[in-house]
Amino acid sequence: MGFWEFLQAYQDKIILEFFRHIKIILFSLPFAVLLSVPLGFCISSRPKMAKIVIYLSSVLMTIPSLALFAIMVVLLAPMKLGLGMTPAILAITLYSLLPITRNTYIALNQVSPKTIEAARGLGLSSSQILWKIKIPLSIPVIMAGIRNALVLGVSVATFASLVGAGGLGYFIFSGISRANLKMVAIGAVIVSGLGIGVNYLMLLLEDVLTPMGLKNKS
Amino acid sequence: MLIELKNITKKFDKQTAVKDLNMKIEKGSITMFIGPSGCGKTTTLKMINRLIEPTSGDILIHGKSVVDMEAVKLRRSIGYVIQEIGLFPHFSVYENIAVVPRLLNWEEKRIKERVDELLHLVTLDPSYAQKYPMQLSGGEQQRVGLARALAADPEILLMDEPFGAIDPINRLKLHDSFLEIQEEIKKTIIFVTHDINEAIKLGDKIAIMNKGTLVQYDETDEILHNPKNEFVENLLGRDRSLKALSLEKTKGFVTHEGYVITGPNDDQGSLREKMKKTRSEQAFILDENGRLLGRKILVTKKTGKQEMIQDSNPVVVDRNNNLVEALSKMLESGEHQLPVVSGRGKFMGVINLSHIFAEVTAAEAKNTIKGA
Ligand SMILES: Nc1ncnc2c1ncn2[C@@H]1O[C@H](COP(=O)(O)OP(=O)(O)OP(=O)(O)O)[C@@H](O)[C@H]1O
Ligand SMILES: [Mg+2]
Repeated sequence: MGFWEFLQAYQDKIILEFFRHIKIILFSLPFAVLLSVPLGFCISSRPKMAKIVIYLSSVLMTIPSLALFAIMVVLLAPMKLGLGMTPAILAITLYSLLPITRNTYIALNQVSPKTIEAARGLGLSSSQILWKIKIPLSIPVIMAGIRNALVLGVSVATFASLVGAGGLGYFIFSGISRANLKMVAIGAVIVSGLGIGVNYLMLLLEDVLTPMGLKNKS
Repeated sequence: MLIELKNITKKFDKQTAVKDLNMKIEKGSITMFIGPSGCGKTTTLKMINRLIEPTSGDILIHGKSVVDMEAVKLRRSIGYVIQEIGLFPHFSVYENIAVVPRLLNWEEKRIKERVDELLHLVTLDPSYAQKYPMQLSGGEQQRVGLARALAADPEILLMDEPFGAIDPINRLKLHDSFLEIQEEIKKTIIFVTHDINEAIKLGDKIAIMNKGTLVQYDETDEILHNPKNEFVENLLGRDRSLKALSLEKTKGFVTHEGYVITGPNDDQGSLREKMKKTRSEQAFILDENGRLLGRKILVTKKTGKQEMIQDSNPVVVDRNNNLVEALSKMLESGEHQLPVVSGRGKFMGVINLSHIFAEVTAAEAKNTIKGA
């Protein structure tokens, strides 16, 4: 069977797993953002706490993906949630913690104290300073964190197929176990393409959301 | 009395930044704060708009204690400009200037008019409204910072080394337009500086601080002529009698004789006649709005023949330049009579070298009598 015939034969399966892969990432994204961005805000003015949170989340990231999935399965098994979407979403959310939290923290702290002082001096209240000054000035860096987390999520989600959540990992792992290199190659190519595509789309979104005055073109 | 500081003390932990400060600041005047780094200038300034709360003492504005006012409201009624300017990088020039009016819920139409008005005041083209801070030079950003502080027409303006980061040449220009602006708006300005020449040039009064205390607070003239102690003398530097010259503005020395005024298209022959009759060496060319376009000079050649030369880019003195600045322009250009213009380029008359010399002689006499 040639490569193209193979593609045709697996067409439906490829489309199915592709969308499952995206589904896993899209389900994880809100959890990741809703957990990490507020966490970043919370630690932004508490340097000691920031150190601890960032340290812990970087420890999380050093756990190999496969091991993290395994841990999830074990931990969730008593609740009968050990297989399927739950462990996958949880693992990806945990992996996203560091890039998003750290970038949110950095973003909020890179806003020049002089800008904040000027805002206070002009009579903006604390919440006005947050919403009108700090957040708009932080968006590009926070978005970059979300982008990193998403791209990471695309690759980590490959392991989801091992816990029964499906996704493009199916081709890679089944391909390996059947010694079917075409299958492995297809999985790898599509995952890579998806990563590149997500990165590109997020760059576009970042550009749209970046306030005019911060863009480096005159 | 607009602002009154009463026994103000500020301690940070154990360190005393400001110690028992008493001061009265009059309406419509420029008060310059000067002193060594860390002497408490910024701290004093920030206590007025409550960015810092005093440890003890009271600050009154219009006789009312600032503690009784809501901090945010108080700040909206006081203009504030800092060295690093602190323009909001994600806001256009328009949005930056509109910050306080928007906080005060002005109608957008009124805001737009105000922004136009302020851009004109700080001599920026209306097209600047849509630019972003990143696209502006340091001097332009500083002008926007000033416009932003003035947006809601506050009675009081606090400025913390606003021109500190600007190169000397542009700083001189900003000084001139700053004085020009103040002439129009007559705000009560408290201005922190490191530069004694800036303090002398801009200040009606100077407050000299050292280690958190007020060493001397007087009219600029009084400080120059009667420094209270060695510290003040050292701060003023050695060339005090020349510095006193810089107290005198060019506009007080403008004369309207010894030159001729002409339009761009006037007849050469009759102009020459007129110049001969009035013994003028220069004729200034003005447009219909009285703006200086250039000058014509009558030069006598070796042959004895006289010739008219046109100079479309003459050296000019701003009417807010002080006599030291006017003098140095004369020395540089080798002219003993220079045209004086307003900030908007309007011709005001001329200033003569001989008049500056007369003033130097008078100042020296005054100092000698004092020294004797
Ligand atoms: N927030 C703060 N916490 C602790 N100490 C402070 C604080 N702000 C100022 N100080 C101290 O108070 C003193 C006065 O500071 P201030 O900023 O008023 O000086 P300054 O006269 O404006 O100096 P400069 O000319 O360098 O701007 C300094 O010794 C400074 O270290
Ligand atoms: Mg200071």
